[in-house]
Amino acid sequence: MKHKLLPLSETMHYILLALREPLHGYAVMQKIEQISNGTVSLAAGTLYGAIENLNKHGWIEPVGNSGRRKIYMITAEGNAILKMEQERLLHILSLYGRDDSNEDV
Amino acid sequence: MKMFNMFFDIEKEEQWLNEQLQKGYRCTTISGLGIYTFEKTDNRYVMRLDYQDYLPKKKFKEYMAIYEDFGWSHIEGHRLGGRQYWQKEDDDQNEIFSDRQSMGNYYKRLMGYSFWLGMLCLFFSYSIYKDSGLYLTEGLWNMKGSLFWKALLFETPFVLLRSLPVLMVVFFGSSFYRAYRKYSLLKEK
Repeated sequence: MKHKLLPLSETMHYILLALREPLHGYAVMQKIEQISNGTVSLAAGTLYGAIENLNKHGWIEPVGNSGRRKIYMITAEGNAILKMEQERLLHILSLYGRDDSNEDV
Repeated sequence: MKMFNMFFDIEKEEQWLNEQLQKGYRCTTISGLGIYTFEKTDNRYVMRLDYQDYLPKKKFKEYMAIYEDFGWSHIEGHRLGGRQYWQKEDDDQNEIFSDRQSMGNYYKRLMGYSFWLGMLCLFFSYSIYKDSGLYLTEGLWNMKGSLFWKALLFETPFVLLRSLPVLMVVFFGSSFYRAYRKYSLLKEK
């Protein structure tokens, strides 16, 4: 059965991508704002809940502290999820180039 | 300025607190008994209410730290669970939830809260009423004339008190349903 977080929501997707380097919560939001060209601006509760959720599923893990902030980073499992999502999205993108459906698969 | 108010509905409470802000009154403390303290302010603030179940000490610290990094100050709320009151100066990010998934999870937490409190009240109601009817006076229904009415009137306030748990079951049931409706609207794809 498909994992309940799949396909990744925009929020989860961006967080996993941002956490390929170790960051604390607020820095994750800033990084996402930057890499999404300002289109995705996460709110505090959404970020907290998403980090909780990803951590619970073992896709990210705490790797240290900076003051009272916790620093997270993606795990091997999280990277595997990103790889899967990348393939799924690449396939969808490849369909954009075709003009009709009578292509060989 | 102090004001007394009681809200069973968390969203109504949030709305009321923001109405006070529009009038220029900022909530500074909230006591468990429903007493809200306000101070006059010239700045523009927003208030948002979150609901969290019990959080271990470390989790609660992390929860607080993330919100505070985003500029929210914690007005009231305990880590053992319940409503969390957040306040922040008005700017371009005034929400605490920015996607459907997290908004849905918020209503799910509210559903869980109403469900368990409703169950608790149901259990209380059951243990109160299982051996008796609502009216306890012996032979009440066999009394005649004014004696009956006097006895009935005398006991009715106690009966209302005794039926409180049932009213609470109805109340929690309806707030469960309201949260469920909002949750299912958000889940729809």
